[in-house]
Amino acid sequence: MPEMKLPRLLIALVLLGMGPGLAQAQWIDYKTPGVPRLADGKPDLKARAPRTADGKTDFSGMWFANVPAKDYCRTADCIQEERMAGEQMNIGRKLPGGLPYTEWSKEQMKIRGRAGGRYDPHTYCKPPNFPRAWTLPQYLKIVQTPKEMVILHEFNAAYREIYMDGRPLPVDPNPTWNGYSIAHWDGDVLVIETNGIRDDMWLDIAGSPITESAKVTERLKRLNFGVMQVEVTVDDPKAYTKPWTVTLEMAVQVDTPMIEEICMDNEQDVKLYEQPDITGSN
Amino acid sequence: MATNKVALLIRALGGMLVATAALAHHSQSEFDFKLKVNVEGKVTKVDWRSPHARLYVDVVGEDGKVVNWDFELPSPTTMMRRGWKRDSLKPGDTITVTGARARNYPNIAYASTIKDARGKPMFTGVTPIYEPEKEAAPSAPDKKP
Repeated sequence: MPEMKLPRLLIALVLLGMGPGLAQAQWIDYKTPGVPRLADGKPDLKARAPRTADGKTDFSGMWFANVPAKDYCRTADCIQEERMAGEQMNIGRKLPGGLPYTEWSKEQMKIRGRAGGRYDPHTYCKPPNFPRAWTLPQYLKIVQTPKEMVILHEFNAAYREIYMDGRPLPVDPNPTWNGYSIAHWDGDVLVIETNGIRDDMWLDIAGSPITESAKVTERLKRLNFGVMQVEVTVDDPKAYTKPWTVTLEMAVQVDTPMIEEICMDNEQDVKLYEQPDITGSN
Repeated sequence: MATNKVALLIRALGGMLVATAALAHHSQSEFDFKLKVNVEGKVTKVDWRSPHARLYVDVVGEDGKVVNWDFELPSPTTMMRRGWKRDSLKPGDTITVTGARARNYPNIAYASTIKDARGKPMFTGVTPIYEPEKEAAPSAPDKKP
């Protein structure tokens, strides 16, 4: 029947057209648009840092600590490989002499250290803070507009707002997990200032404190397409005898999406900390 | 002295983590990496949820009794980026799992390796990512618009 030829042809064309779409049906490795690429299709990580329409450095994109995957899966049959920033363990690891803890902090560190991860808010799936979120094994995504930067976090599908509209930091704010953040430009560097962080936060697994008295400054510098430096200064007179600064390095992540990771969905580790040791090995 | 004690605590915790290699949302001190587990059994369930996927395996003990082991896996997010799928392991699959036992609970462990019924290691390797050079050199100076 000649009248059937056209529909069949149409169906065939539609199916042909869907072919690549069907092959890309999973987003897990979907190619990120707008990425400078080399001839082989890999991202050109040494390309120049992108700029916004108004000429500012564009930090947009997904970011993760710049640590090689192979460092954490050395054996051939390892299944638990997870990339991890060393600063997740101890954020002051590269500082000569370590962090300048106050006497109060030293007491806190003893209690926290003795208990392993039992008292770490992160173990209980509570939100992290910045700078700690820069070091965690979940992706961050920066969405940048001229007047506001938003940082999304896979962990608990969270967000952080950084205002660039000229407002000052709040005075005597109600403390929150992320605190209150404003930013201004210093040339190509975005300078983020934060106050109003909660009083009971940890900066790392070792238990380094950060408190309500803290003012945090993060200087974001995108060295090229692939790498961003985050220079973190913490001025927290309750927890530290003097301000200290560490520089974290972040690597851009492309060709994969953000994946929500709701920690409370099936948290099963807290109970393991709360029972007596039955192994007799300690 | 107090500073030294804090430094020692940090070093001790750090050493433990280097030994355990991986890390997710907690310190992992709840597992004893000196107490190895090595069992063969049949998968009963894969619980594909955050913060850790969990693998349940029925194991027949020497006394003939069946014990259901609960193995902690990486997060589904990490596993998906490494090519795992929620149905990569199915109920009834015969596998051998090694790991580290929980200090405080029997039959709970942190999975280190999984082998299929033929003894072939499964889910090995690392996350395929594009890795910038560690000491990143800035690109050519940008031209101001």
